[in-house]
Amino acid sequence: MKNTKKWLFLVFVLVLSLSLSLAACSNTSENTSGTKKPSGGDSGEKKNFLIGMSQANLGEPWRVAMNDQIKAAADEYPELKVVFADAAQDNSKQIADVENFIQQKVDLLIISPNEAKPLTAVVKKAYDSGIPVIVLDRKVEGDAYTQYIGGDNKLIGKKAGEFVAKMLGDKGGNVVEIKGLEGATPQQERHDGFLEGISSNPNVKIIAAQNADWLKDKAITVMETMLQANKKIDVVYGHNDPAAEGAYIAAKNANREKDIKFIGIDGLPTPDGGLKAVMEGRLSATYIYPTGGKEAIESAISILEKKEKVEKTVILDTIEATKDNAEQVYKQFGGK
Amino acid sequence: MSAERATVPNVDQNPKKLDVRSILHFLQRFQSILGLIVVVVLASILCVRDGVNLFLNPINLANIVRSVSENGIIAIGMTLVILIAGIDLSVGAILGLTATAAADLMMHKDLGFGSTLVIVLLLGAFIGWLNGIVVTKLSIQSFIVTLATMSIARGVARFWSGGIGIPITYGDEPNLAPPAFSWFAERISGVPVPAICFILLSIIFYIVLKFTRFGRYVYAIGGNETAGHLSGIKVNRIKIMVFIICGVLSAFAGIIHAAQLSQGSPNDGNGYELNAIAAVAIGGTSLAGGIGTIFGTIVGALILGVLDNMLGLLNVDNNLQMVVKGLIIIAAVVLQKSRSNR
Amino acid sequence: MEKNLILQMKGVTKSFGSVTALSEVQLDLKQGEVLALMGENGAGKSTLMNILNGAITVDEGEIFLQGEKLEMNSPLEARKRGIAKIHQELQLVPELSIAENIFLAREPRNKLGFVNFRKMFLQAEEYLEALELQVNPRQPVKNLRVGEQQLVEIAKALSVDAKIIIMDEPTSALSNAEAEKLFTVIRKLKKSGVSIIYISHRMDEIFALADRITILRDGQFIDTVKTTETNLEQLITMMVGRTLTELYPLRQTLIGEEILRVKNLSFSPIDRNKKGLEDITLSLKKGEVLGIAGLMGSGRTELFECLFGMHPRLSKGEILIEEKSVKIKSPEEAIRNGLAFVTEDRKGQGLVPTRSIGENISLPKLKDFSRLMFMSKNKEKNAWKTQMNNLKIKAPSFDSLVSKLSGGNQQKVVIGRWLLTSPKILLLDEPTRGIDVGAKAEIYHLINELASQGMGIIMISSELPEVMGMSDRILTFCEGKQTGEFLREEATQEKLLLSATYKGGREENVS
Repeated sequence: MKNTKKWLFLVFVLVLSLSLSLAACSNTSENTSGTKKPSGGDSGEKKNFLIGMSQANLGEPWRVAMNDQIKAAADEYPELKVVFADAAQDNSKQIADVENFIQQKVDLLIISPNEAKPLTAVVKKAYDSGIPVIVLDRKVEGDAYTQYIGGDNKLIGKKAGEFVAKMLGDKGGNVVEIKGLEGATPQQERHDGFLEGISSNPNVKIIAAQNADWLKDKAITVMETMLQANKKIDVVYGHNDPAAEGAYIAAKNANREKDIKFIGIDGLPTPDGGLKAVMEGRLSATYIYPTGGKEAIESAISILEKKEKVEKTVILDTIEATKDNAEQVYKQFGGK
Repeated sequence: MSAERATVPNVDQNPKKLDVRSILHFLQRFQSILGLIVVVVLASILCVRDGVNLFLNPINLANIVRSVSENGIIAIGMTLVILIAGIDLSVGAILGLTATAAADLMMHKDLGFGSTLVIVLLLGAFIGWLNGIVVTKLSIQSFIVTLATMSIARGVARFWSGGIGIPITYGDEPNLAPPAFSWFAERISGVPVPAICFILLSIIFYIVLKFTRFGRYVYAIGGNETAGHLSGIKVNRIKIMVFIICGVLSAFAGIIHAAQLSQGSPNDGNGYELNAIAAVAIGGTSLAGGIGTIFGTIVGALILGVLDNMLGLLNVDNNLQMVVKGLIIIAAVVLQKSRSNR
Repeated sequence: MEKNLILQMKGVTKSFGSVTALSEVQLDLKQGEVLALMGENGAGKSTLMNILNGAITVDEGEIFLQGEKLEMNSPLEARKRGIAKIHQELQLVPELSIAENIFLAREPRNKLGFVNFRKMFLQAEEYLEALELQVNPRQPVKNLRVGEQQLVEIAKALSVDAKIIIMDEPTSALSNAEAEKLFTVIRKLKKSGVSIIYISHRMDEIFALADRITILRDGQFIDTVKTTETNLEQLITMMVGRTLTELYPLRQTLIGEEILRVKNLSFSPIDRNKKGLEDITLSLKKGEVLGIAGLMGSGRTELFECLFGMHPRLSKGEILIEEKSVKIKSPEEAIRNGLAFVTEDRKGQGLVPTRSIGENISLPKLKDFSRLMFMSKNKEKNAWKTQMNNLKIKAPSFDSLVSKLSGGNQQKVVIGRWLLTSPKILLLDEPTRGIDVGAKAEIYHLINELASQGMGIIMISSELPEVMGMSDRILTFCEGKQTGEFLREEATQEKLLLSATYKGGREENVS
């Protein structure tokens, strides 16, 4: 008995050290050229750059896409190596992740913060220690960062509103809104923008609005009750693609999907993303909410190699993807 | 497992045996931190880049202790609960609720540092008391009871704040938090304040378990509740106290959490109960109750912390990190078992 | 006795680390006999049986089964060779049916590979019939009484065609009637050619059942004797290694004033496993040992539990201690009123196995051993030393884990704990169950000493000779009622048994 236990333990230790040394090896091998560089860092001589990317969580497909796009963009530059950390929606974990990157003396930090306030301090710490910081999507407070890249939710909401106003025409119609998470800024902005967009057409009415917390399964239940309560629904405005797709499933179950148009936001170039849904006709339109991954890498090159000063804030435009252009947009954003 | 053997004449005919035993004993005691030593040595060797040791430098070590301290403080309370053969799943939710409460009380209700601290700790005590009362008086398993209070505490926190985090900004004007609160996020000559709190609480509860009557009661109840009851111990009262302590410690961790993040978010502390249980289990405390020490729990928490830090410094793939952590937990428990079987 | 040898164990030696558990032990077993294996705890009986059962391997020595040399590495192999062990703690699955338990992992199957329940129940019925157990094999084992469960274990052994059945303290949890039934079964098995190795501390059983007796002491083989050619005195001498002048020492005591009076105590339990009590009235004097005889489930343990405040809401009646009426609503109050309760279930209710001897002794007295909230180790240590010396607890130190001690020493720890509270009334529930003869004698001496100091003692025991040997007065219990009272001089085994099995004189069998 005792022997089996010893063996078991040995095996565990072996597996552990193996996996660790593997990880460590992969790390050092890609940095072999880096070891030769002078650590003092006379400007202009650096050939290899280590970039730390701190992601808030990888539970959302959109954020997975962000990481993918960063990786794809960085692959274009062999001198860049990007390491990723996933905070799994935990602010404390993300702070530790950034601290780790500081310890590793990364050449540049990209962060998509889980929440603004809790991460402000640690981002400032990185910035103050001389690491350029690119903040993606959600902001941090103050101005202790090099560049902020983000989309404009209000603009997207407005474009969606205008699209609906035009589609329904003078006759107008009934719109239900499946919102994101209560209290989240993107939800507020996508809602406000949408109201602004439809204001030109007084006959477009929002007859119901409920939260689905960005989740497809929740959107199905929400839509089911809305279908029960409302005889006539013309348009579903989902605050993200999963919300719109969930609503589509509920409508299909009630055999009412033909009477309703579905609009989503995000437009991810993935097999389960909004662009595919538009191509396959489930959604009428989706609006690309850009991740900024590609732009972040381009900025990184400007900062690290070209030693250029970059703009403090970059707001990315959206693309309206309908049946006409969805396939092309899909390819443009690296969809396979 | 407790203390070394005193020599009693006429018991051991063979004096040589005693020596062997005491060496074995020493090794066993040493074994409890063996896991930590292994992880630390691994980290020190592996985390070297460009001739610089990323792991063994004061800032990194301070970071580790700081990031461990919230889980560590909760795990101390969890140790007591598990020692009486219970479990407390509500600790993470209590942390979320108390962090939210602290932020709200200071930012919106204009309370000072002292009164906020007292109210928040009382809130934790109340939930702990609730856990204890239901577990003892209605004799429902603590797993179920605390699963319910977890949901309740989380719900109250979300309802209280409308589901979003409340940012904390410091200042002397109304609707700003008292600057004293930020002390919990500071460092004293390089040592983070949460780490100091963690160390102090560890010492206190080490003493409580080892040298007080209450500690004896806890071990007796965990080892054999009926025997304790028949020996005149007020079993229910002790159990309720243990749950209250766990609640208060979770609330304290909530305060530190709020100060660290400059915000009280009702969604924070998700899954912290499992981290705490992991630290306790790695530290050698038996989930069946009666066996375990605070020292072990501290070691367990540190193992988890060092591991997280090392894997991060090595940029190990996040998904792989979870695998490695799981393996470590099993390895630690295997080690623990081989020890208790001796 | 000219039957052929079925099993021979020769020169069996086994060490655990530096401890020699068995040294050159021999044992032989004839077909169709009951061989008793005796010895004090730690004499090596269990080790020897574990070797025979394949659970541990020998260092040296040989085992021959029907002349063929045996090499076994697991209990499973032993079972296949026809050696089955009935464990002290029964190993049945409570939720499964009797038949399923008998055929566990060997269920008869039909062509499709599903369990053939009809066949299984039919076969199970056959075995149960052979054992004279009239129960439906379809009902779950948890519905059976302990004695019946034991028979199911035996049925399980028979179903694998066991030639040798090892029984380790099979009657420790049985009532006398259940034990009698077991004996009948054993005799029947014997006739059908099955050999039985029987381990027990109860002398009366050994003399009633065994053909021959093998005695071990300190891992050494002492002797094998025919039961008809030996006596109690001789056996004990061989087991203990010294003569015991008398197992139940006489006591010169002055019985004093009344210390406890119980009036019209009744108890109506909610728990189905507990027995109710009706109208119990008794009294106890200083220096008196009051014996309580009764079968398991007669309500004797429940009497102690009620006295000790364990069922405050479910019991009624008046308790007077030293002529003052007291209300006892919890064990804590019972202790304060000078009661002490040594429970029958040492492991389940008495000891905290995860803690040291010392901490176990201190348990009811922690308040007196602490200043403010902190334990005062010095005070405690003195008390521990005193108890360990007075009670002759054999252990390396008071810091040793209590779970590592032998049954006798564990019992001494429990008694030591209660003596520390200087009780006026000591309740002993089966104080010598499962402990060896040497320790038994020590406990008897202790009881006498305590009585002579003026303590009032009530002792429950299933062993009638023990009750008769130790008590000044004996009460009999049956089905929750008091059925008789005898003075030491007038009690006989027959009278006690009759009184303990017939409720209120009516011819109602309670087995």
